[in-house]
Amino acid sequence: MKQGFFSKRFERWLQSRLPFTDHVTLNQRNVYILPTRAGLMLGLTLLVLLVAAINYQLNLGYLLTFLLAGCSLVAMHVAHATLRGLTMHLVAPSPCYYGATAQFVIQLQNHKKSPRHALALRVQDTRQEVQTDVPAQASSSVELAFKPPRRGLQRLPTLSVQTLFPLGTFRVWALWRPAAQVLVYPQPEAHPPPLPSHSADLGGQALATPHHSGEPDGLRPYRRGDNLKTIVWKKAAKTGELISRDQVTLQSHTLWLEPQLTQLAAPEAQLSRLCAWVLRAEQLGLRYGLRIAGQDIAPANGLAHQLRCLQALALA
Amino acid sequence: MNNLGLTTLRNLPRDTRDTLFLLLVITWVALPLVNQVPLWCSLMGAAVVLWRGWLAWRGLPLPRTVWRLGLLALAVAATLLSHRTLLGRDAGVTLVVVLLALKTLELRARRDAFVVFFLSFFLMLTQFFYSQSLLTAAAMLLALWGLLTALVNAHMPVGQPPLWQAARIAGQMTLLGAPIMLVLFLLFPRLAPLWGLPGDAMAGRSGLSSSMTVGNIASLALDSSVAMRVRFDTAPPPSAQMYFRGPVLSHFDGRSWSATPWLEQTFDLTPPQITVQGAPVRYQITLEPNQQPWLLTLDATPQAPQVPGRTPRQTPELQWVLTRPVTELLRYEVQSYTRYQAGIELERSQRQANLTLPFGFNPRTQTWAQQLQASHPEPAARVEAVLAQLRNGGYGYTLEPGVYGRNSADEFWFDRKLGFCEHMAAAFVIVMRASGIPARIVTGYQGGERNTLDGYWTVRQSDAHAWVEVWLSGQGWVRVDPTGAVAPERTGSLLRLQSPQGAVASALLGNVNPQWAFNVRAAWDAVNNRWNQWVLNYTQNRQLDLLKRLGFDAPSWEDLIYVLCGLVVGVSLLGAAWSAWERQQHDPWLRLLSKARLKLTQAGLTVPAQSTPRQLHALLQQQAQAQVQAIASWQAWLLQLEAVRYAAHAPTQRATSRAQVATLASQFQHLAPLRAPSL
Repeated sequence: MKQGFFSKRFERWLQSRLPFTDHVTLNQRNVYILPTRAGLMLGLTLLVLLVAAINYQLNLGYLLTFLLAGCSLVAMHVAHATLRGLTMHLVAPSPCYYGATAQFVIQLQNHKKSPRHALALRVQDTRQEVQTDVPAQASSSVELAFKPPRRGLQRLPTLSVQTLFPLGTFRVWALWRPAAQVLVYPQPEAHPPPLPSHSADLGGQALATPHHSGEPDGLRPYRRGDNLKTIVWKKAAKTGELISRDQVTLQSHTLWLEPQLTQLAAPEAQLSRLCAWVLRAEQLGLRYGLRIAGQDIAPANGLAHQLRCLQALALA
Repeated sequence: MNNLGLTTLRNLPRDTRDTLFLLLVITWVALPLVNQVPLWCSLMGAAVVLWRGWLAWRGLPLPRTVWRLGLLALAVAATLLSHRTLLGRDAGVTLVVVLLALKTLELRARRDAFVVFFLSFFLMLTQFFYSQSLLTAAAMLLALWGLLTALVNAHMPVGQPPLWQAARIAGQMTLLGAPIMLVLFLLFPRLAPLWGLPGDAMAGRSGLSSSMTVGNIASLALDSSVAMRVRFDTAPPPSAQMYFRGPVLSHFDGRSWSATPWLEQTFDLTPPQITVQGAPVRYQITLEPNQQPWLLTLDATPQAPQVPGRTPRQTPELQWVLTRPVTELLRYEVQSYTRYQAGIELERSQRQANLTLPFGFNPRTQTWAQQLQASHPEPAARVEAVLAQLRNGGYGYTLEPGVYGRNSADEFWFDRKLGFCEHMAAAFVIVMRASGIPARIVTGYQGGERNTLDGYWTVRQSDAHAWVEVWLSGQGWVRVDPTGAVAPERTGSLLRLQSPQGAVASALLGNVNPQWAFNVRAAWDAVNNRWNQWVLNYTQNRQLDLLKRLGFDAPSWEDLIYVLCGLVVGVSLLGAAWSAWERQQHDPWLRLLSKARLKLTQAGLTVPAQSTPRQLHALLQQQAQAQVQAIASWQAWLLQLEAVRYAAHAPTQRATSRAQVATLASQFQHLAPLRAPSL
């Protein structure tokens, strides 16, 4: 127990020394090395071999012991060189929703003339690791994922890269605190109630009902004037005809989304519902605006607008 | 068909391939021990490894714990049964072999794999209990390579890298580890055993013995392994006079002959009387470890052989012994005289001891001896008469005389008339003692074979011999070789006993030119001798010699440690220097740029890690409120820095560019300091 406490403190201290950076080249100063349990066992084995060689006066026993010791020593350097000089580069992560895993890509560059084997990358304090080799004078990339602990703009967690190569007798590792931040939107509510049917600006108008074209799945033949976005291209490719998705087209109506409309008390729950509504409204092609925490986002639609709304929700 | 097999092998799943490879390596490690462990152990090990291989091949699950525990209990019980103990060397080796095989049934976690590796390393060392030959060393080097390959392979978890890749990495590591091994081997102080060894530590090896029952030497005569090597510094004596003295057997209980008990000899401190004639023969003997305290020397050796670090003592029976058994290759210098007289005066007790025969054995020989005593009152004539009987009585020399009964001398003299040196020596001594002449058996080696390549004489176990010494008044102890009377070619000629070759050996060597075979053997012996001289016989003395050559006046083993520590410190310093050099930025331009970045950071600016001079310039531009002059000079300097590297006319000559960088560096020293912007 106690050791766990101290090693945790130690890890934290190590981490606090690290600068935030998205681009790190490992060197003597930030690569750590310690023998593993197997390494200690090998040391014990070497000691017993040495004692046996002494006690039985076996010169060949000395040779074996010393050769094995030499190999372990070389293995230690090989292990350290596996990380030393490795360049890692973080590709800026894309935003994600709270509750989902955020994925990000790390590029590993090897300038050495020999390959680097068995690099295990891991988000600190998680168990899952990704193993990869980096060929000589080449690069490879690795995708890591983590579950953001909260909503909002936040730093990526500390990453660790580790190797046990070549003999498993030494653990060589380095810690890395990426500078990049990831934006985490609120978790969209799974089954939100329908969009608020009327708000102040709607002026009591009901949401338009979809066109009834007799098609059960909401598809109908293309009509002139249909938005290109509404064409179901997959279907079009199969059948050779243009098929449009029937959708609510309420260009003239404007929807204001506000926390009060959610009829929820908890702020996070409000944001969660608003997030779901924003997604829904965008999906339906509505014009919608967002009004939270004194911030007004004028009604509009389109991906850029959706992004603005989500960002506002994330940072609220 | 073969092709198909290879393809199957190449397409094995990774797990199967790795397991099979590890099993192969383990088998290679344990194989040479087959002769040393009980039969059940070899069979059980082989069965378990085959079983494990089958499971891996078919991808079947590993057996349950109950099975393994059952097998383990069985193995421990069998070990206990065959060795009567679980401790000690031989029982230990048996257990480790079985444990290693059983552990392969449990290769689940990483830890299990490591246990297999460590047990294998132990097993490799145990080989050296039984043999330290060049071949063993080569086999174990291969085994180490195999084990390291398996270990490296286990730490390449991505994809299915070919085994040769792991083998190459393991090979490189071994090659790089070799210099470390060499330094440690040369300089690590050779210590005496740290504690007493268990009783069976040195048991079960062939060699001369301090007791002799019928048939014992026959098995030695078939053993062509090397007993010792001799380098003569003076002219070697004729082969017929090369009697290397070993244990002297003077006690006879009717069945077996034994040496004077150790304790009696220890308390008898009177030096034997030896008078010598002629020039001495000087030579150096490299004795293979025989786990016995005897130093073999030519007859007779009045002065103690020079054994490094030890004081040999001479027994009244002229044999040189050490206080501790020879457990490692031992080299010593001897000076002997082939013309000598020893024991002119025989003490009463000694005379009595060498006349004693047990009561109730060999009645016919006793009667014959009394007749001889009557017909030849002169002892010397009696000796001659018995030798004549051996020569002319139809006696024959054979290595397979069969089993002798209770009265072995009677059987030899009157019924079978067949035997080899020990039968003849024993029968001869019995008839001598029965007729009143003090006599004893001397065992040792007779003759040897000169290696034409390096001039060393090789004495093999097949040169083991037993002869007789009789005491004649006025002459002392006189050597008589009854075997020589029957088979003169056994002694003194170049014809050596040919051990029957194994089926493989005769198939390989049976039809080749004997001269060629002789040369090959001579070359092989010479290589082996080098191996012995340089590797196996590398003792503390030679370590100290090495230090002397390095310039130490009176080296001690502490000096070895100093040299070793010095080397470690030296290499560490070199490593530190190298890493400092590696850390430095080698490009002066880049170094200058990073200095500038550092300065600006210290001035309170947030400087991106990889910023260019132009970016720094822009950064300063934003700051341009106060310190206008300083900032302007900085900006000018940064633009110059950029120009040196990226000017339109670049690349200029390297020399001018270097000079410009130097100028910039000196300007950098004189740039006005930037203060942190006030908040």
